[in-house]
Amino acid sequence: MSIINYEFRNEVLKHNASLNYCYQCSTCSGGCPVALATEGKYNPRKIIEEAILGLQDKLVEKQDPNPWLCSTCQKCVELCPQKVELTEIFTLIKNKCFEKGLYPEGFSAQGQAVFENSVAIPYSKAILTRREQLGLPVIKLAPIDEIKSILKETNFDKNILKGGVKE
Amino acid sequence: MAYDLFLGCVIPARLPYLEASSRKVFEKLGIELTDVDGFSCCPDPTGIELIDHKSWLALGARNLSLCSNNGRVISFCSGCVETLKGVNYAIKNDPHAKEEANTILQKIGKSYDGSVEVKHFAQVLYENLDKVNEKVEKYLEGFKVAVHYGCHYLRPSEIINWDDPFEPVTIDAIVKALGAESVEYKLKMECCGNPVEKSDKDLSLLMIDQKFKAIQEAGANCVVVVCPACYQQYEFNQRDLNKKNNTNYNFPIFYLSELVALAFGYKPEELGFKFHRAKPKVFFEQINFSV
Repeated sequence: MSIINYEFRNEVLKHNASLNYCYQCSTCSGGCPVALATEGKYNPRKIIEEAILGLQDKLVEKQDPNPWLCSTCQKCVELCPQKVELTEIFTLIKNKCFEKGLYPEGFSAQGQAVFENSVAIPYSKAILTRREQLGLPVIKLAPIDEIKSILKETNFDKNILKGGVKE
Repeated sequence: MAYDLFLGCVIPARLPYLEASSRKVFEKLGIELTDVDGFSCCPDPTGIELIDHKSWLALGARNLSLCSNNGRVISFCSGCVETLKGVNYAIKNDPHAKEEANTILQKIGKSYDGSVEVKHFAQVLYENLDKVNEKVEKYLEGFKVAVHYGCHYLRPSEIINWDDPFEPVTIDAIVKALGAESVEYKLKMECCGNPVEKSDKDLSLLMIDQKFKAIQEAGANCVVVVCPACYQQYEFNQRDLNKKNNTNYNFPIFYLSELVALAFGYKPEELGFKFHRAKPKVFFEQINFSV
């Protein structure tokens, strides 16, 4: 059984009112490359339906359908006859999953790298040598204290340290 | 003509040879690229944004605040372009986003007003197609290219505001200007599958398998991309896919800048072609292309 969470529903609507316009025509799912590849197991229309109904347990805790399978290709956003901003709504749902530590581990590694180094991929010695061989300049990255100040302000630091557990 | 250069993470720190060819192309065209100190990750619109939109907005705004002297910035990466254009769009059009970002930036003594113009390097090449034509020294004869536009180069069109989101023409036009053939194939406009790799590697391989199948059926002999995520998906996962499915795809994967540089007369050694997995050298021999 699913429980309607009105507070969650209102939060999604407040974040992006375009959710209101959805009439469940399924154009989004028809154009979705992941829906095609998974033979409908991943279904963007269904995620929107659950958001309209305020089914937080399905969207965040059970993740059924799994919002992390969205490839962010934005085809659904272009195709939607009602101009529902699906990707933005999915982002809010995934942000909620992140706050609860329910997200794939790959995102955690990337987030920690940015928090520690200001970039997702730190420069290894081998790459610095290769850059020199290719005649490329030395890159001066962001002062890490500035990046950490920003990421503390947004609570990213606390959330990223919890790590991701959802496979 | 000058632009600030936003390098991002993947190209400079993992695929520097793609940076080398890109810089060479702009140098040849006489378009100055200025390196800026102090950029961070853009941040990744298929990574950081999905876990924390607010951090994405604030870090993106901080990056843009560093280029406001020049007013124009380009990137070699479609992901960086989408983030920088997206953050810019939000700050320009949404007063709440502007306030949210600036409240955070205030803590580090910065601010951003949304005034920078962001472009993808392929956009600048297309806008200078006449110059590109002039500089071509060697036509890419025998190159039957499967153009992969990728998603973030085109969509969301309201924010990217460049080319058609479903029937794009710009990269095909550049490829043709180099004397190569652009081969139409089924699934041309579909996603490469890279962003789902973090969540489901098998699904990601299935998506690239479908693309390779379509490319093979259409008779193309190489692939061109304009995004490092797409590049890694095609180049690195081609091998993983072959191992998993016992297939034997061996398409050389080129960055658009590499094809342009090759046509401009640069040598494979100068462009770091040896770092490719599917070796361009073998491909050149197969199609009798002398370099």
